[in-house]
Amino acid sequence: MTDPRAGLRLKVLAALVVVMFAALTTRLWFLQVLAAEQFRSQANDNAVRVVEVPAPRGVIRDINGTQLVNNKLRLVLTVNREELGDDAERVLMKLSELLDIPAEELGARLDDALKRYYIFTPVPLVVGVSKNVALYVKEHSKDLPGVDVLELPVRDYPLGSVGAHVLGYLGQISKEKLKDPGFAGYKPGDLVGISGVEGVYEHDLAGTPGLVKYRVNSLGQNLGEIGELQPQPGDDVVLTIDADTQELAENSLRAGIMHARSVYDSSSNASLQANAGAAVVLDPVTGAIQAMASFPSFDPSLFTRSMSEREYKRRFGASHSSPLLNRAIAGQYPPGSTYKPFVAASALQRDIVTTSRYYPCPGSWTAPYNTSDPEATQYIFDNWTTANLGSMNIATALAKSCDTIFYPMGYRYWDLFYVNPDEEAHGVISHEPLQRDLAYFGFGSPTRVDLPYEDGGRVPDAEWKRTTHEAYPDSFPEGQWFPGDFILMTIGQGDTLVTPLQLATAYGALEDDGKVCVPHVLDHVESSDATVVRRYQPNCRRSVHIDPKYLRYIRDGLKGTVSTPGATATAAFSGFPFSEVSVAGKTGTAQVPPKQDYSWFAAMTDANGEKHVVVVLVEQGGHGATTAAPIARNIIEGLYGLPLTQFTDIAGTD
Amino acid sequence: MDLAAGRMVASERRAIRHVDPLLIAAALGLAVIGLLAIYSATHQSLSAVGLDPGRYVKRQLTFLALAVMVLALAASFDYRLLKVYAGIVYVSSLVLLILVRTPIGTSVKGAQRWFELFGFQLAPSEVAKIALIAMLAAVLSEVRGELTVQDVFRTAALAGVPALLVFLQPDLGSSIVFAAILVGMLVVAGARARYLALLGLTAAVLIVAGFQVGLVREYQIERLKAFLDPASVSEDALHNREQAEIAIGSGGLMGVGYLKGSQTNLDFVPEQHTDFVFTVVGEEFGFAGAVLLLSLYGLLLWRAFRVAMLSRDPFGTYLAAGIASMLALQMFVNVGMNVGIMPITGIPLPFVSYGGSSLLLNFAAVGLLLNVHMRRFV
Repeated sequence: MTDPRAGLRLKVLAALVVVMFAALTTRLWFLQVLAAEQFRSQANDNAVRVVEVPAPRGVIRDINGTQLVNNKLRLVLTVNREELGDDAERVLMKLSELLDIPAEELGARLDDALKRYYIFTPVPLVVGVSKNVALYVKEHSKDLPGVDVLELPVRDYPLGSVGAHVLGYLGQISKEKLKDPGFAGYKPGDLVGISGVEGVYEHDLAGTPGLVKYRVNSLGQNLGEIGELQPQPGDDVVLTIDADTQELAENSLRAGIMHARSVYDSSSNASLQANAGAAVVLDPVTGAIQAMASFPSFDPSLFTRSMSEREYKRRFGASHSSPLLNRAIAGQYPPGSTYKPFVAASALQRDIVTTSRYYPCPGSWTAPYNTSDPEATQYIFDNWTTANLGSMNIATALAKSCDTIFYPMGYRYWDLFYVNPDEEAHGVISHEPLQRDLAYFGFGSPTRVDLPYEDGGRVPDAEWKRTTHEAYPDSFPEGQWFPGDFILMTIGQGDTLVTPLQLATAYGALEDDGKVCVPHVLDHVESSDATVVRRYQPNCRRSVHIDPKYLRYIRDGLKGTVSTPGATATAAFSGFPFSEVSVAGKTGTAQVPPKQDYSWFAAMTDANGEKHVVVVLVEQGGHGATTAAPIARNIIEGLYGLPLTQFTDIAGTD
Repeated sequence: MDLAAGRMVASERRAIRHVDPLLIAAALGLAVIGLLAIYSATHQSLSAVGLDPGRYVKRQLTFLALAVMVLALAASFDYRLLKVYAGIVYVSSLVLLILVRTPIGTSVKGAQRWFELFGFQLAPSEVAKIALIAMLAAVLSEVRGELTVQDVFRTAALAGVPALLVFLQPDLGSSIVFAAILVGMLVVAGARARYLALLGLTAAVLIVAGFQVGLVREYQIERLKAFLDPASVSEDALHNREQAEIAIGSGGLMGVGYLKGSQTNLDFVPEQHTDFVFTVVGEEFGFAGAVLLLSLYGLLLWRAFRVAMLSRDPFGTYLAAGIASMLALQMFVNVGMNVGIMPITGIPLPFVSYGGSSLLLNFAAVGLLLNVHMRRFV
């Protein structure tokens, strides 16, 4: 070092540094030794509580933007059964006084008929309590352990029960679903869509919950927020359902059923029960479902709270015709004569019948038998009327629903069914072209509609009959396939079952030159800022393998059903302006002994290219023309803005 | 020629014998404490999001390995070369500071790739600190006789340029470090007290003017206010201080034990692996651990001052004094804000805080100290 004075100045700087150390050490001594106790307790008071912020669930809208389901903040009285403990009886008595609901009912609601609530999650006992109740509960929280009133977003149904079956409802997630990897991230107690659109589009609607991190002290008091993660709102689901059409279908179905209950049914010597029914309106070109009604219906808002076993049974029990059942997709019925157009299509395609010939329509038809054997059993199949209707072509046979023209077709399929020894040697078991053709129309398997719990109906064949008999010999005492199985299939009876939606889909294929569309209720999913996330891609790739000329022929024939004299639905459609709206339809009267007949009507309508398929079913509604056809007429009138015709008594035909 | 070369080799051989093991031990000791504290501060939150809990500590360990190489490099050449190239180094560091600020600079990928050559992003402000020390040492060692007021203001201007540039980044902490380097080196160079006072006054006026034209950012004012008047500011600004104090205070005499700090584990202290890493030491190792850490700094700074004393030339003295000033101030401001006696400025704790740039440059500084120490007889 050249400058000796620099040494001194370095010492000055070093002294400054020593002062720094002294200051820091002193402070540390204060913090860590003198005040350590106080800071320790502060640190103990420091705890994080993470509170989940639920994501707003997406709104469900109809095709025109009308809200079908949204969220509304409601005051919900919840009870936590764990915290309730031994005080249950006293607390329930108190709540009973407060809410004016019997204590037994509240207790039963705690158990919940559907067992939707986990023991540690609060049960929403009453939705929409008053502010006064909320205040009382808050002020007497010590006296009411486990009871709370929370302002929660609750599913709200602006149109009430309209579309209830399609929309579905929410419930707490089941233990099975929690294990499902598709529901990763869900916790016990989370609400999920249980049925309908709420269930199918759960992952679109749900969104992602946010988090708020609070600092709380040892007393659990909130000392302020430390962090927050905004919830991601769920996407909105826009349906192909048109709320007006839906309401129209529901109202027509209800009104028609109410009217039917006053109609006398000669075969059962009583009024028609008309206990239940379904109606479907769809676009045959895209498969878009515009309305789907099921009677009786229910109020979906009931599922926002818990329910006692008794209330559940009273509202939704089998003795009340199981209103939760969506009969349009989960009700399986013999289709009766509404099946005939598809049998006719197969028979025309396979040259069993032709469009040019005329066939006799006697009051009954006897199946071929060995005439040289006097002991031979004769199987006689009756037409729906004893009268001989004369001879007619296939189109008229459809319009007048002549059973005795269809029975021989069934017998011809029986002939084809036989396998000669040559074929047998090549492994061919049997020929069942009718079943194959019906399957092309979508019968016998689910339509794959985007709604849960759909049934697939049944197209019986020899193999099915044998295996079912082997599995359930009591319910199905016969395992052998007979000519009668084919014969009854031609008129949609025997073991044949369809759902109303399946039938609507098949009529859609008939209307749209053989293209079978997968029916759907989703139009598109859009995010909360109204950008389209996903659009439903209509799937009409499947074809029925029937020459379109035969389908057109049948369609034209079905126009006669509603307009030609003596056809089955002419009376039901009397005065209808066919010049404005073209209607082709088919009645059906399905026999489901020992019950009264089930009433069917299926229609294809067209006015300047606006096409619809309408299918109506009424359980124990008598003849197709009596109950279902007037309901379908009402729906068609509403669809095209025509004045609605009053329900009147219409004489029974097929 | 041959004779001269032989002399060089001999002097190098002699130089290596005069390495200062205490200086290296202190720096490495601090870095090891840093690794422990970084792991404690980050492992929980990393594994909470499904990442490797050792992610940060492994990166820091890589930096440490690089840093040791940088130390060897900084000690290997004759430090007097630095005096020759000080001007170039200084100007280059200013260019880097400008490049980082301008949109052109950030869009020029070449410059950034050069920074990422060692696998990390080099903060030019760290380079500028060393560059300024070298520049001031070179300038001051050329001054003949007593420092005039012009000398003082000329050197102040040299420090002022990078200080202003980092202040605009905005990085108030680094500006303070530049100021400390300047003052420390001026004191050692023998600047008169009244010149320093005049310099202080000028700086104060300039800062007030800076406030007026809005150079100082909102949050910097907030933080300053949080220090000066805790009652006047928002919960947010108070939160850091409060949580840091609780963490350190709850450590007590002996600490709550490694990886057992509730404050640390529950993420109560923000930026805990960087600026508030001292709170981990305070909570988990207590007063004993904190004092051990300070002792290592004491050792390091004692050796640094010793190097300044022993240097064979004024350049070496000023270089060492500048480095000592830089390290001392960073240590004091950082620990000071952790314990609540200094305002919160973004200054990392040298050798301990997570971050590659500061670790590399601090080891480079120690390398220079060794350099001066090793060559004190030649």
